[in-house]
Amino acid sequence: MKRRGKRLLSDLDQEIREHIELATQENIERGMTAEQARYAALRKFGNVTRVKEDAREVWTKVWLEQLGQDIRFGLRQLRKSPGFTAIAILTLALGVGANAAIFSLVNTVLLQHLPVRASSRLVVIWISNLKNGWSRIGPAGQDYLDWKDQAQCFEDLFLFEHGTGTVTGGGEPEQVAGLRVTTNFAEFFGVRPLLGRYFRLDETSARHNLVVLSYAYWQRRYASSPAVLGQSMTLNGEVYTIIGVLPSDLATVFPVDVVVPFDNDWLKRVDSDLGVFGRLRANVTLQQASSEMSVLMGRIAQQRPDRKDYGGVLVPLESARVEYIRPALLLLLVAVGCLLLIACANVGNLLVSRAVGRRREIAARIALGAGLGRLTRQFLIESALLALAGGASGLLLALWTTYVLARFIPTRIPVPNAADYVSLPSIHISAPVLVFILLISLLTGLLFGLLPVFQTLRFDVNEVLKEAGRGSSSGPRGNRTRATLVIVESALAVVLVIGAGLMVQSFSRLLQSNPGFNSNHLLTLRIKLANDAKDSPYKEPRRQAAAFERFLTAVQAVAGVQSAAFTEIVPLSQDDMDMAQFVIQEEPPAPRSQHLASDFRDVTPDFFHTMEIPLLHGRVFTEHDNLDSPRVVLIDETFAQRFFHDQNPLGKHVQISDSTRPPREIVGIVGAVLDTGLDQRPRPTIYLPSLQSPDQTMSLVVRTALPPSSILPAIKNAIWSVDRDQPIFNVRPMDEIISSITSAQRVAFLTLDVFAFLALALAAVGIYGVTSYAVGQRIHEIGVRMALGAQRSDILRLVIFQGMKLASVGVVIGLLASLLLTHLMTGLLFGVSATDPLTFVAVAFLLVWVALVACHIPARRALRVDPMVILRYE
Amino acid sequence: MSTGEEKERIELLQGTLDLLILRTLLLGPAHGHAITKAIEFRSDEVLKVEQGSLYPALHRLIKRGWISVEEGTSENNRRAKFYRLTAKGRKQLAAETSKWEKFSGAIARILRPTEERE
Repeated sequence: MKRRGKRLLSDLDQEIREHIELATQENIERGMTAEQARYAALRKFGNVTRVKEDAREVWTKVWLEQLGQDIRFGLRQLRKSPGFTAIAILTLALGVGANAAIFSLVNTVLLQHLPVRASSRLVVIWISNLKNGWSRIGPAGQDYLDWKDQAQCFEDLFLFEHGTGTVTGGGEPEQVAGLRVTTNFAEFFGVRPLLGRYFRLDETSARHNLVVLSYAYWQRRYASSPAVLGQSMTLNGEVYTIIGVLPSDLATVFPVDVVVPFDNDWLKRVDSDLGVFGRLRANVTLQQASSEMSVLMGRIAQQRPDRKDYGGVLVPLESARVEYIRPALLLLLVAVGCLLLIACANVGNLLVSRAVGRRREIAARIALGAGLGRLTRQFLIESALLALAGGASGLLLALWTTYVLARFIPTRIPVPNAADYVSLPSIHISAPVLVFILLISLLTGLLFGLLPVFQTLRFDVNEVLKEAGRGSSSGPRGNRTRATLVIVESALAVVLVIGAGLMVQSFSRLLQSNPGFNSNHLLTLRIKLANDAKDSPYKEPRRQAAAFERFLTAVQAVAGVQSAAFTEIVPLSQDDMDMAQFVIQEEPPAPRSQHLASDFRDVTPDFFHTMEIPLLHGRVFTEHDNLDSPRVVLIDETFAQRFFHDQNPLGKHVQISDSTRPPREIVGIVGAVLDTGLDQRPRPTIYLPSLQSPDQTMSLVVRTALPPSSILPAIKNAIWSVDRDQPIFNVRPMDEIISSITSAQRVAFLTLDVFAFLALALAAVGIYGVTSYAVGQRIHEIGVRMALGAQRSDILRLVIFQGMKLASVGVVIGLLASLLLTHLMTGLLFGVSATDPLTFVAVAFLLVWVALVACHIPARRALRVDPMVILRYE
Repeated sequence: MSTGEEKERIELLQGTLDLLILRTLLLGPAHGHAITKAIEFRSDEVLKVEQGSLYPALHRLIKRGWISVEEGTSENNRRAKFYRLTAKGRKQLAAETSKWEKFSGAIARILRPTEERE
């Protein structure tokens, strides 16, 4: 069929010649002259080229052929105006690139499932005690056992505990991140081991001493050797047998080194801070499970009075992991959306202006028979080419941006109010991101490609062609489209800049907020005494305290160390939480419903001096506050205000209610410290001397004169000079801790700033473009005005007024939109209201100023107009 | 290809032209010029075929298998393409003819009473 068509077409020329020949002969026979006869025959036949094209259309897929033509034509058009093309592609690349980068971030962090079975049905279960202000605390072993017995809405429950262990034998002693799990681990997550096996359900007794290695640890410590299976390792002084290796992607769920099973007997004794995941039954909603849980907690409280007033908190695992960063990401998504719209508006503006310039060409094509459909397609293909080129450049930009983003976005983010971290998978451009880029490129191409179609194709062909060489005025419709675009983009720019402005203020206030101690030149690290081991020298509490005392003495002797102290928990570190209920001995017992609760910290005497936490009343601890002397405590001012109001707390006694510890006298009041986050309020805190309340794990805080990192080796050596086998972990300068807990705000702050700057620049370009185009259009009018004696200032005012009118409308709309939109950011803002009037006013002025500058440049050009030159063209 | 309005006009013309070509070829194979002449002659020169549009129409009919093409010699002894009605084309002609008669009959019925009323 196709070949037949080809032959017919190739013979068509001959056939037509023949036809015309015959017709001519006939005409001659009718008495015409040869020339007349030929013309008459040609006229009657019609347009030969058109006939051939129509015949070809019969045989070919015309649209495909025309598409090819249109694309070639479009490319030619774009090449013809390289300046326009470059600006359009660059603008789009910015818009698309920023969107792709943020989308890849969102895709990685918010949209991807965890690499485990039924990940969307997994929930984290915390317990809460709202009366004490505890919104999320880890349950106890008994809670888990009760739930496992009684809860109906879960298919299965899984219990785990993060901890650390000491690996000795072979090289430096190493503190590893450990995970203790129930033995349904493999079944619960539906994961297969990379090597070897997981625990069997019945391997719940500690005497098995089995360990599974994480992929990273296996790589690091054993160089990925498959021979590790069956080997033994010394963990906390005990010998464990390696039975398996976890797959690498499980690190996004559990960023640990080693996994060991829970001992069932021990499980019953663990009283808090465990992690519990549940897998909901397939037909159970989160609400149903939550309400069952609260009923269940009420029932449990009847059997176990210590659970009175407790509730259960269920949060889907996948959203719990990203709670902290989600608002920042969503904000960024909105911001890049605005940026893309601005870019579209700008490119649309360019295309409209260009289409107006091409009106004569278009009119000529319509006159020659081009259909509206074909022209529309032509415009759309041109804009699609631009959009795709912009998208491709945007992809490059996105690759680079994600590379940069990956640098400053933390791989570990804290879980709010849970003293826990989760690790994030690395960000990369994946297939969904590529599809996303393609889609938004084509969508934007369609969006701005249709603009010139709507506004230029509706004109009277004759009018345009009659305008002859003058064709400069574009008619009111073109101006209106451009004016609308400028208004829209100024409004969007206002929204973005206000968002960024609020973020800048919020972030600087966050960083300036006084945490209650001096965070400069402060190094922190953690030490855990190996008293789990059978032959540990630290079994006895006094020995623990003495060991820390010796470490401290050694560290304090290091050159460059100004002062050093141990604390159970480093402020802001999110390492741990220690809360308890207490009673004040001198006060009448509070009604049962009103438990008093406070944070507790064990610290060494120099803690307050090292941290530079001010002593407000009384005294701080001394080395005499040990197990042989009366028990004492310090309270912070928040505690004093909340529980003693206007009374003097000094000399009063507190007693931790659910323990057998003796009452402790309050001997001093110190300043409040922000413990849980810079944007949180200080919480009531009780400090205990660690000599009277020894711990196994303590954090060393060191105030140095030198940069903390340079002094670290000396400090490590000092500790190892006391105990050769003592691991040191979580080494972090305070700066690093602060930058980690402010990461969500920092991401939002930095990225939003960049976007706002781009938005402002694009809006300025847009205003400039429209104003200078308007000047070009009115150059004749301006010439006449000047010839008639208009002052330079009149002309300036004329031009600037036109641009400013649009910008001002945009600013007003932008301000109104911001009032509605900035409440999205409330969760990210600190110390500044979402409708901060100062920011709004400042941004309005900024935008007006930028618009003034953008209008001023073309206005200056208008002034250089020589009336004589202009009028001569009349 | 063109505005909607124009397209409709061409479509109508094409359909009619196709019918006329098939009817002409019922009398025997003919070359392009002979077909136009026959149409004009048989319609008493009322129908002025834009001759050029004949060739795309012929190609379309070939593609649909309603006519076939063969080499021959024209009246002034030159090589020419002769178009011949196929069996399928004959069937199509019958169908199109009855459709056309229904159509023109209907138009006529609508037009006649209007004239009477005036």
